[in-house]
Amino acid sequence: MLLTGAQIVMECLLEQGVDTVFGYPGGAVLNLYDALYEYRDRIRHIRTCHEQAAAHAADGYARASGRTGVCIATSGPGATNLVTGIATAYMDSVPVVAITGNVTRDLLGLDSFQEVDITGITMPVTKHNYLVKHVERLADTLRSAFRIAGSGRKGPVLVDIPKDITALKTEFTPRRPEPFPAADLPPDGQLSRALAMLRSSKRPFFYCGGGVVSGGAAREAAEFAEKADAPVSCSLMCQGGYDQSGGRYLGMLGMHGTKASAEAIKNCDLLVAAGTRFSDRVLCNAGLFARHCKILQIDIDAAEFGKNIDVDWKLQGDVKSILARLNGLLPQQDHAGWMKQAAGWKRDFPLRQAGGPDEVTPQAVLETLSRLTGGGAVLTTEVGQHQMWAAQYYTFRKPRHFITSGGLGTMGFGLGAAIGAKTAEPEETVVNCAGDGSFHMNCAELSTLARYSIPVVELIFDNRTLGMVRQWQKLFYGGRFSQTDVDGNTDYAKLAGAFGVKALKIAKKHEIEPVLREALSSRGPVLIDCLISKDENVLPMVPAGGSVEDPILEM
Amino acid sequence: MQETGEKEYILSVLAKNNPGVLLRIAGLFSRRCYNILSIVASQTENAEYSRILIVVSGDDRIVRQADKQLCKLVDIEEVDILDPKKSVVREHLLLKVRRTPRNSWHLVQIAAVFRANILSVAEDFMIVELTGDAGTLNSLIELYSPYHILKILRTGSMAMAT
Repeated sequence: MLLTGAQIVMECLLEQGVDTVFGYPGGAVLNLYDALYEYRDRIRHIRTCHEQAAAHAADGYARASGRTGVCIATSGPGATNLVTGIATAYMDSVPVVAITGNVTRDLLGLDSFQEVDITGITMPVTKHNYLVKHVERLADTLRSAFRIAGSGRKGPVLVDIPKDITALKTEFTPRRPEPFPAADLPPDGQLSRALAMLRSSKRPFFYCGGGVVSGGAAREAAEFAEKADAPVSCSLMCQGGYDQSGGRYLGMLGMHGTKASAEAIKNCDLLVAAGTRFSDRVLCNAGLFARHCKILQIDIDAAEFGKNIDVDWKLQGDVKSILARLNGLLPQQDHAGWMKQAAGWKRDFPLRQAGGPDEVTPQAVLETLSRLTGGGAVLTTEVGQHQMWAAQYYTFRKPRHFITSGGLGTMGFGLGAAIGAKTAEPEETVVNCAGDGSFHMNCAELSTLARYSIPVVELIFDNRTLGMVRQWQKLFYGGRFSQTDVDGNTDYAKLAGAFGVKALKIAKKHEIEPVLREALSSRGPVLIDCLISKDENVLPMVPAGGSVEDPILEM
Repeated sequence: MQETGEKEYILSVLAKNNPGVLLRIAGLFSRRCYNILSIVASQTENAEYSRILIVVSGDDRIVRQADKQLCKLVDIEEVDILDPKKSVVREHLLLKVRRTPRNSWHLVQIAAVFRANILSVAEDFMIVELTGDAGTLNSLIELYSPYHILKILRTGSMAMAT
């Protein structure tokens, strides 16, 4: 059939099973938005207040559902506003297809109005990108974009479409997307070496990264932990990739990991690391990381082996298939003594926040939230102290339920991500944990929540300061609190009211549970202003350059 | 001034001839802090592909990383790390040197020793060309240096496994 470029974009989205896109209209995408109007009964469009939030929403949609998220922006500033969101998705390997309009082909390269070289700008933060110069190539380009975004190690792909291409007509033939070819399993020889390492280990420690979540390997990981009879730790990106209510789970590993995980890494003789890139926030000091044990690394990306740390053995491929194969081949191991030792650390070093009898601590709020939701809510976060508290104190039980900007550390990510997550999974309870600093970066998106009646709970840990930076200033800069106090003039109730969002407040400890209950049972969006002390810290903490085995427990 | 463990490696990269492919490669090297000493790119026998020869300085780990990161670029088909001992390595040099009636004979003699071609002779300068490995080219440059070199153009290394 003969279709315009804009109609072809819609048809390609439908081909890929896209039901929702996030975006913001503008001059260069007028034809695309006209087609969206035509296809409005099949493709839902959520208009955010700022393109950055559209990119975060597409990202949150993808992280919550496992399906590729899509965002649309116009040329120039529309496109550049997506960049932070694209970079966020890139650092956390999230499948997103970003579609940008551009000026007509005859105006490209002439510094035309709202022209920007967005393929040039996004080259370092996309898996790949395209500038479409022929309408005949448009459909296949979009198909490639979805294939690249969703296969292998996932990531964002940008397709830049000049305005005249979206108006030109060409013949379109629908094509069903082919399933992605499965990654090869490592050869048997490599697997048997890994099995030998596992069988000879007396004190194995199983460490899961975000790849376990994005590779859909949570069940295989759980079975592997049983088979290998090992204690388990997860990176920030894998919160929920392993059921944290179980006895094997020792807590997070890394800069703000638990003492129990630190002890396990100090005392284990084999570290099995699955779907992790050994980020500097986990290694802390690479030279002091896991010195007394062998490391077996499983990852889909060949470039992750030997990048940040040398490992003793590597298995390259899809983490789900590799763990399934190991589970099939590995005889049941028994490390009762080692497991008992690990349980001892877990018992002796619980996470604990001090506080007066009536004081609202983040721990009390998040543990109550965890109890009220049975560990089953989707938590999105901004970046800072509240993000670490959410990872530490909420007991995640399922993958794709903790959505956070781990790699790029993007303040302003969470609310957009929550919009995407709730849109993708409307049956789930979605709570965005925010700090008051991060909240101020993207608070306009409250109006998006209200406009589309998206029942997200915006839970603001309001300490009137940029808490994580303040914590570093306290520890390393002699308490010189440069620019970290957030002005306390924002009236959250009035602000929420202005946007049409219900506002609640937690100021006393006894208010935590009733307020959370009310928010969770609300049919519309709710903002909770949760007042906490300025001086709450995120502990444990490994200072820069320190060893992950030796965290600070008090300050 | 090379650090210990640093040496030169030659990467031979086969890439689809899509717009911007050279920028993707150069950008990757720059953002990952790999040093490019030289780069030569041109179309292959198949017009849809380019062959790009990159000389990198670094240690073994960096070169393995560069190889693997390059392989992740969608437009890249194949990356070979060439062993200089098992490859033919050639560079091309154009050199313009000041010529006077007194030194002309010396300039011609040097060119003859290296079997360099004299491409142009004017009253006050001469242009010679030479193809060879980097060492040979460096020797020629060194021998011409006392005669006042006006300009040098040098391609990077091309290399082919034997």
